[in-house]
Amino acid sequence: MIDMERKKNLLLKIKKLEAYTEIQNTMGRMIAAVNFRRKEEVLSYFALDQEDVSFEYADEGVFKGKHAVQAGIDYLLGTEIRPGEMIDLQLTTPVIEVADDCETARALWWSPGAASVLREGEDPQAQWIWGDFAVDFIYENETWKIWHLHYFTLIHCDYHKGWVDDTSLINRKNTPMHEESQPTTWHNPYHPKAIRYGIPAAPYPYDTWRKEDENWMLRNDKTR
Amino acid sequence: MHITLEDLDLLNEEEFIEAEKEAERLMAVWEVKNLRGRAAIFHDDQHIGQKRKELKAMDHPSFDREGEIAFRMKPVVDSLEGNMLIHPLTTPVIEVDDTCTKARAVFWSIGIEGLSKFREKPMAILSLGMVPGTHVKMNGEWRILAGNWQRTTKNEYHAGWIDDMQATNTRPPLTKEQDRNFLGKYAYQKDEVRKPVPCPPMKDTWQKYPDETDPSWQFQNIEE
Repeated sequence: MIDMERKKNLLLKIKKLEAYTEIQNTMGRMIAAVNFRRKEEVLSYFALDQEDVSFEYADEGVFKGKHAVQAGIDYLLGTEIRPGEMIDLQLTTPVIEVADDCETARALWWSPGAASVLREGEDPQAQWIWGDFAVDFIYENETWKIWHLHYFTLIHCDYHKGWVDDTSLINRKNTPMHEESQPTTWHNPYHPKAIRYGIPAAPYPYDTWRKEDENWMLRNDKTR
Repeated sequence: MHITLEDLDLLNEEEFIEAEKEAERLMAVWEVKNLRGRAAIFHDDQHIGQKRKELKAMDHPSFDREGEIAFRMKPVVDSLEGNMLIHPLTTPVIEVDDTCTKARAVFWSIGIEGLSKFREKPMAILSLGMVPGTHVKMNGEWRILAGNWQRTTKNEYHAGWIDDMQATNTRPPLTKEQDRNFLGKYAYQKDEVRKPVPCPPMKDTWQKYPDETDPSWQFQNIEE
């Protein structure tokens, strides 16, 4: 007997599967745009109409609200790409949960990456840049958009020296924080003297967005 | 263009059941990826005895529950300081059985590690490997029945994988022979032809190897 409940269950699964694919494609396109330093395209994947849209990058702070997100992306990606420069971030290890109401989703990716950074009077410096992306998505106007994005640095080091011998790049320089940024919520990159805590955490299944769960990625309680 | 309840009304019973099964299968593939992603986090975060969500099929009749608990409680380093195990998951191949309660998978992985056994300066390690595994759905949740990270290379970062192979860190330490018979069984050796193990699960894996406790699907390339 195929009753209405079975039909609704199937429809929900199909909607979630569609969301799963769309979210991965959106994030993949966004990362490609970061790698090719296409600032306007990066911004186009954000839910800029949401009052609390945000992104947090390593220890550069939280950029919250449309104006701050635009300023933060400009700060990180705003300069013209020059000969010899490269950043290449990749997305792996996806853990993705779409809410039962299919209005929001939470996702985590581990991101191995490499970069070439220009130096004065010598060849560019080859660097490893590995980290994690923990992201909230919101469904608006039939599109999945990035609502809150948090990038966590894991290693950032000279390629030749490696992550144990070179910790000089894991923290930002002692220059003024961007005026639009709010305090960083978590920054614990690999360091030979530090301990790993499994943060960002993986998202867990959920029915609908609740404000009290907004920091799911910072949760050190691993029982769910 | 999204599927609606009205679209589902157009399906006859046979078609509806087939659609249900396909949706369930695709959900299973997704959930197995999520499961392995969660497990990868616990691989890095090694706080012994800390309460955490159970990801293994502890209640499956074939599962060595006591052995698993004993393994988890045994420290292999003096301090977590400087230790890191990041094995991102890529290249997934996942096959789910007809009942959508059993799934076999192989992922590939490029990873980075920090290893400090006795509070000495950590060793930076670069590793390549695979994660073959069998997963079962028990009480509505996917769990890992079998399958660990299988080493291809694991070398001190600067030494490279031709000249260096680090053994799995255990207490007491493994001899080279013991290591070769454990996680290093199919590891790269410069004077040997590589063995094609694990074979990714093929489309007929559940017809050919219906028993979920049978690991021989991984070795079918060398059995032929």
